[in-house]
Amino acid sequence: MNELIHGGLYGGMIVGVLMTTTAMALWFERKFAARMQSRLGPTMVGPSGLLQPFADVVKLLQKEDIVPFQADRVLFNLAPPLGAIAAISVAAVIPFSADIIAADLDVGVLYLLAIGALGVLPVFIAGWGSNNKFALLGGMRALAQSVSYEVPLVLAALVPVILTGSMKLSAIVEFQATHHWLVVWPFFLGVPAFIIFMLAMLAEANRIPFDIPEAESELVAGITTEYTGIKFALFYMAEYVHTLVASAVGAALFLGGWDGPFAPGLGWMVAKTLALFGFVYWLRWTLLRFRSDQLMALCWRYLVPAGVVLVAASAVWVVWVG
Amino acid sequence: MTHEPAAPAPAAPRPRTVDDGSNFRHPLYQVLLDTPGLTVGTAAVDDLLTWGLTNAMWIFPMATSCCGIEFMATMASRVDIDRMGSFVRPTPRQADVMVVAGTITTKMAPRVLKLWEQMPEPKWCVAMGSCAISGDFYRNLYSVVPGIDTFLPVDVYIPGCPPNPEALMHGMLRLQEKIRGQRHGKDFAPKPDAALLKITQPSIPRLVEANRPADLSAAQERASDQPTVDEATPALVVAPEDAPEVAPLVANDFEGLLKEVGVTELPKDGPPLVPAAHHLELARRLKALGYRQLVTIAATHWLAGRGRKGAVADEVEHFEIAFVVRTVGAGSRTAAWAVRVLPGQPLLTLSGVYAGADWQEREQFDLVGVKFAGHPDLRRIMQAESATSFPLRRDHPADAPCAPWR
Amino acid sequence: MTALLRRVDPYLKIEAYDPEAELMLLHFGPQHPSTHGVFRMDLYLDGELIVKAVPHCGYLHRAVEKLCEKLAYVQLTPIVDKNDYVAPMTNELALVMAFEALLKQDVPRRARWLRSLFAELQRVASHLLAIGTLAIDLGGALGGGTTVFMHCFRERELILDLFEAVTGSRFHYNTHTIGGNRHDLPEGWAKQAKDAIRVIRERLPEYGALTIENRIFQQRMQKVGVLDGELALELGVTGPNLRASGVDHDLRRDAPYAAYDEVKVNVVTAQTGDCFARAIVRVKEIEESLRLAECFLDGLPEGPINGGKPTKMAVQTKVPVGQTYVGIETPRGELGTWLVADGTHTPYRLKIRPASLHSLSALPYVLPGHTVSDAIAILGSLDPIMGEVDR
Repeated sequence: MNELIHGGLYGGMIVGVLMTTTAMALWFERKFAARMQSRLGPTMVGPSGLLQPFADVVKLLQKEDIVPFQADRVLFNLAPPLGAIAAISVAAVIPFSADIIAADLDVGVLYLLAIGALGVLPVFIAGWGSNNKFALLGGMRALAQSVSYEVPLVLAALVPVILTGSMKLSAIVEFQATHHWLVVWPFFLGVPAFIIFMLAMLAEANRIPFDIPEAESELVAGITTEYTGIKFALFYMAEYVHTLVASAVGAALFLGGWDGPFAPGLGWMVAKTLALFGFVYWLRWTLLRFRSDQLMALCWRYLVPAGVVLVAASAVWVVWVG
Repeated sequence: MTHEPAAPAPAAPRPRTVDDGSNFRHPLYQVLLDTPGLTVGTAAVDDLLTWGLTNAMWIFPMATSCCGIEFMATMASRVDIDRMGSFVRPTPRQADVMVVAGTITTKMAPRVLKLWEQMPEPKWCVAMGSCAISGDFYRNLYSVVPGIDTFLPVDVYIPGCPPNPEALMHGMLRLQEKIRGQRHGKDFAPKPDAALLKITQPSIPRLVEANRPADLSAAQERASDQPTVDEATPALVVAPEDAPEVAPLVANDFEGLLKEVGVTELPKDGPPLVPAAHHLELARRLKALGYRQLVTIAATHWLAGRGRKGAVADEVEHFEIAFVVRTVGAGSRTAAWAVRVLPGQPLLTLSGVYAGADWQEREQFDLVGVKFAGHPDLRRIMQAESATSFPLRRDHPADAPCAPWR
Repeated sequence: MTALLRRVDPYLKIEAYDPEAELMLLHFGPQHPSTHGVFRMDLYLDGELIVKAVPHCGYLHRAVEKLCEKLAYVQLTPIVDKNDYVAPMTNELALVMAFEALLKQDVPRRARWLRSLFAELQRVASHLLAIGTLAIDLGGALGGGTTVFMHCFRERELILDLFEAVTGSRFHYNTHTIGGNRHDLPEGWAKQAKDAIRVIRERLPEYGALTIENRIFQQRMQKVGVLDGELALELGVTGPNLRASGVDHDLRRDAPYAAYDEVKVNVVTAQTGDCFARAIVRVKEIEESLRLAECFLDGLPEGPINGGKPTKMAVQTKVPVGQTYVGIETPRGELGTWLVADGTHTPYRLKIRPASLHSLSALPYVLPGHTVSDAIAILGSLDPIMGEVDR
């Protein structure tokens, strides 16, 4: 019973904080992008345009909800909430500090990989259910992309699991706190695994340079082409939550999570997450987009072999050295 | 004092007005009105909703032409419309404001309407630039819609050709004001300025207005006729299947080739006229001689009696089709020649020699109505497939009606 | 070697290719974020692979040629400004040069230098826009492409400011007239122009780093959309697109007009004919145009700027009977005017030879065998302006 209350309380808190952070992340991204482009970004809504994401949400709530005439109604309506749930659920196992964890599962890594993989399903459902050719092409690309990048993602996530000997996220962070961060020692395993993990996570979250499923300049708006109002907002939010959560997971698995001197654990975790998140947006507003076959080539030619080698090397390292 | 029950007043005739719903009084509505604090609450909520609507206007760019470039400049660093929370959504489903930036043609208009209908309510439309407002100087031409308000409800007009980025920004701010005003029940119908209404004449008088036919549609129809070939007139070109075998040309320069096909002296008033039978062979030889680039194909419709001097057929209506080819590299030379055909008579296509002749001939077919025999894909290219007329014929009126937008 | 390349059949019968009708027909446009205006391609897709492409233009057909039959010669400059709305200066130039050719009108030396100067600055502005929109096509409206685009537009504004100072308008300048120019340079303009040229030259490496030196950009563009030089010539493809296919042809050098016979024009070419070659030619041409603009600015002679006869009314300018073709090198290629004059104050027939229409006519040959993503890159690298295509 106690666990249930604990989980519910922290779960609710985390969802609330996540939503607010997502809104702020939207604002941050727009200002950040504007700075990169020698613009100002939102200035008129609230101080420095801080309220811009909220205005967006208020507006999106009021928009007419259109279901295209020949769309598959059930699938079309099912996709956005499913996407949002899949993105948020991952947050359940993230250790924000030594004691802020909604559910400290023994198989945390397995859970987050499984739920993360669920994220492609609503994308494909949306692509199929919209009955729009651009959406279909987007869904098709998303499916191919996610299925491919699932493999390096799992391989990269296996490296910290092997090195620390646990699938429990809190235990992985604890291990790093008592020993070294995985990107520090053994860095020749940690750093490549971290890079592969972040790349695969970006691809899963459909961020540039891997955002080909919704490539505006090619597929109009890809899978979200037919979505209006709040349904679109759910998709939009799911994307940001996904990126945010991916950054948090990356910080926990490789950057030592809440571990750090002077400041409280939560502060360190948030700082690391936001730093990764900022890096993702830096990439987004600098890089161009891959073509889908190049994306596949990158995955199967480089990331997967590298992942396999890393896993084998980690096992050898643990047995002979660690 | 006793009260005499008042005699029942004669029933007043019911005012014959249309019930517009403004006098709506439901008992529940009254209860809501009387509840203390509720109106304040609802007003606050309404203000919040309006705040959201006005501050997150995502734009669907219906950018067709020059104004589209200024629209892009508005997105860019100097003006940066993102300051007010507006940015571009490529799909109409997620947009609030459609900015029609540029000329809308009759071929495009149905698409614009469809995209407008795909936008979810509440939505607004901004007409940017004089083409979108009124059609500008293309207004009376056969292919241009004279202002998008002939088929779309426009909220804000931004004049200019094209309007500066600052003007578009101003227009968007005015749209914000308008939305706020409408939510507060203010009427934002434009009040016409009496001084402006007096200006009805364009500042530059039309030069050939006198030639405008009284019955436009009849004139347009006439121009669309394919005049039949008069049996009495000597045929200037023969059908491709009857084309006689012409001897291959051998000369090594353009002048020599012209002599070989029977043009002895170059005319002063245009390119040399080449007999249609030699036309294809001439092009082939020129290409072999290094004139590898096709520059242009231009057909001219000569009305009866208007053609070039000293030609066989200047008394009858005919087409003169000019071809320009070019050598490339330093010291580039051009060669131009012309071929004449009667209306309805086809000319052998050049697309087998120069691949680019394909689209050029389609354009001349579409606009002037010259037929090209043996063309692989002779369809209209500029006008819609449903078009009936050939507008660049000289008897086609410049001021043409284009149903259904006028 | 190029002759060995098998040419794509643009007239492929789709029923014969695919009797079971399993191909997907994707209507790409006329309103699409990447079609550079209103342009439509019907793409027959096998998965994501294009089997056949059928371009449709005419969605911006504004009947300019008909309008030209209606208006007087001197009224036409502002009309043709709107054709290639990214480079209005060169539009006007091609038009008035045709009139001057039939009128046998001489143009004062200063006016010719001014025309060349404006044309070169316009080329810089136009190529900046081309690179910016190409980057948007590749990187998306919400991504790295926009960053390049914004930076390009920032520099483009500098040139528009220069033109605004001369003519009073950001574009649609109406500054060329028969026999010369309408506006002379204002006080201090030369210094402003020098500063703008210096700033753009300093910032050029930035775009280079974000585009042609970028690995993703290279991967997306190299070996994509190869246009054979011989086919390009036959199709009438001109300008940077032709030079990227290895054909050394530039009207500024090969058939000089205005003041180009007095300076040395270095023609930029590339050999591969793919999208990357087209992009790199444009970037290099910006540098060359900046050099030329500086050259024209330094050597600008003094003197009158208009040798035309002043007239009171538009109808007084009458062009003698004749037909002529004049072509000039605009940022997009050869823009020509075929003028048929009948001795009155209006043209009898005026055909504008657009560079972009010819560029687009390469699409059915180039697109098959590529994916939808490549189609965007190819279309963007051809840099069409629909106002010029459809007129």
